Amino acid sequence: MSFDLDLILDSIPQMLMGLGLTLQLLFLSLALGTVLAIILLLMRISGRWFLSAPAMAYIYIFRGTPILVQIFIIYYGLPQLELVRDSILWPILREPFGCAIVALSLNTGAYVSEIFRGGVLGVDRGLKEAASALGLSPRQRFIYITAPIAIRLSLPAYSNDVVSLMKSTALASTITLLDMTGIARTIVAETYAPYEVFLSLMVIYLVLTWMIQRSFGWIEKRMSRHVRSEI
Amino acid sequence: MEVLTGWWDDFFWGSLVVVELFFVALILTVLFGLIGSAAKLSKNRFANAIANGYTIVFRGTPEILVLLLFYFGSAIALTALAQVFDPEVKFVDFPPFWAGSLAIALIIGSYATETFRGAFLGVDPGQVEAARALGLSNLQTFIYVRIPAMWRLALPPFGNHMLSLIKDTALVAIIGLEETLFVAEQAIGYTAKPFTLYLVVGAIYLGFSTIITLTVMLCEKYANRHLEIAK
Amino acid sequence: MSDNQQDIIVHVENVDKFFGDFQALKAVNLTVARGERVVVCGPSGSGKSTLIRCINRLEAHSSGRILINGHELTDDVKDIDAVRREVGMVFQSFNLFPHLTVIENLMLAPKLVRKTSKAENRELAMEMLARVKIQDQAEKWPSALSGGQQQRVAIARALCMNPEVILFDEPTSALDPEMISEVLDVMIDLAKEGMTMICVTHEMGFARSVADNVVFMDQGEIVETGPPATFFDSPKSDRTRLFLQQILSH
Repeated sequence: MSFDLDLILDSIPQMLMGLGLTLQLLFLSLALGTVLAIILLLMRISGRWFLSAPAMAYIYIFRGTPILVQIFIIYYGLPQLELVRDSILWPILREPFGCAIVALSLNTGAYVSEIFRGGVLGVDRGLKEAASALGLSPRQRFIYITAPIAIRLSLPAYSNDVVSLMKSTALASTITLLDMTGIARTIVAETYAPYEVFLSLMVIYLVLTWMIQRSFGWIEKRMSRHVRSEI
Repeated sequence: MEVLTGWWDDFFWGSLVVVELFFVALILTVLFGLIGSAAKLSKNRFANAIANGYTIVFRGTPEILVLLLFYFGSAIALTALAQVFDPEVKFVDFPPFWAGSLAIALIIGSYATETFRGAFLGVDPGQVEAARALGLSNLQTFIYVRIPAMWRLALPPFGNHMLSLIKDTALVAIIGLEETLFVAEQAIGYTAKPFTLYLVVGAIYLGFSTIITLTVMLCEKYANRHLEIAK
Repeated sequence: MSDNQQDIIVHVENVDKFFGDFQALKAVNLTVARGERVVVCGPSGSGKSTLIRCINRLEAHSSGRILINGHELTDDVKDIDAVRREVGMVFQSFNLFPHLTVIENLMLAPKLVRKTSKAENRELAMEMLARVKIQDQAEKWPSALSGGQQQRVAIARALCMNPEVILFDEPTSALDPEMISEVLDVMIDLAKEGMTMICVTHEMGFARSVADNVVFMDQGEIVETGPPATFFDSPKSDRTRLFLQQILSH
């Protein structure tokens, strides 16, 4: 097995052309997914069964099934339904990009809402009591006390989810999208050199992962400046 | 649902493949996790470095990429190996089942490494001291004191790893394993009902996730039974 | 003690509290007049914390009535909010908001609940910090302060809401011994200035010097009450005697 250096140098720029698509998939799904997560969280902790039950069911389903299956259902499956073909969402759902964004957002929304919920549960009960005792309404308590602290507590798990989301964007290559993985697969199909191509692609993803982790490390540091460090 | 008649037993066999894949990967995952965490916790700098490299690479690379790399890579490696013995051989196919279980085990094993490492660190050092004072060897202490104590701490996050494991098995369809997604694709060819069929696959996986979650809950109860009495 | 209705700030009448099958409070009756300082003591599990937590609705009493300054405490949110504006609380574990500076901790509730202006809030906050002698820590994070300092900030925070009565739930129990007196001194000053207070504590020296009335609780009931002189020197009940023996023999 020889290691074709020229091939590596050739394929890396090609694969990096897919970086734009990878990042679009990542940021768009992250944004939409986080918004969805907040909605689901509020439903989940609302205390009203007709809100929390659907939220719990949604989270259960989307965390309990493989994301690949979710992508296939949305991309291959939805066109089967006339309801979908006639709806206003059809232009989005007809395109693989739209389907990928929808699938990734729906999926990450479920995970992130549980992460936020963990953060909310982690807020010391005494702090919430102090806020009540001072006369703050439950809504004020949530906005000024619970949420800021919960966000800081959620950051580690949230950053892990962002990395997961980035890895999931590679699955877009299974529905014809030419993100970095998609391009890599076409190169491999032509050159029969999986090692060179896939290993270089792996390095690119590792760099991305590292960048995500560094960014969150910086954010965490900024948000924790009031927390006394362990002496 | 009549569309599914005739396909039920195919789905059954497909599901069986998933279960086999799950258990093989699970055993390997525990193995890799224990080796990895032992390496990370050891004083040997070389072992530390290898284990660190292992976790960084396999937690930062998309699962599908690892699968593709393993599948194509091992086919090539195996072919090269076979050509040493018989130059006539053109191509040896590496069974996707084994490529898949190995790849998934390495991926989840990297997460398990971190989980086990944390759990080992959480073991009460007093217990270990007591064991050594009683004359138990390093290995005996490890097997009879450390592992039982660590398992209780590792169980909740490991339950999550098992859920990831079962969901990742769906990806092995991409490299040709004949499990549930494969059956679905065949059925779609005949019935042209992708939505229904992929939904069935989703439901099968949801069923598996539920079983795993319930099993983990039972195990957690069992592992913590000595604490219940103290309440 | 005047029985004029206007002067009764806290009126607890025949209150029971159940946690599932466990009865934490049994037919508790208590009245606290304006300016009165009440110390509640008793062994753990006697219900003393539960009692004061019922007064500001951190726990809901199962039966009986609780009236604060004439307002009856019910399930109605408006009643609860009205009560919490009149009642301040200082917790054993301080419960300062870690993501806000000291002065922000003080300014938050007046801004949100009384809706006063930022300038007014800041002035009031600095005044209260001066009152507890900690004004130079105004811009610090709570985590940078010692336990005693944090508790004094917590007292100032409660004072910023201008309460009719302050509840203290074992305010010094979580403090290292050398910091207890700085907090007790602040509480004594408050008492001298006429603040109505109900204080759950083990600090019997404080009770003797400051309290108008000492209440002894055991197993959910009020066993005995009385001014410190009679309470400490000639307790009426055997249970009281036993408790005093245990707690004063150190």
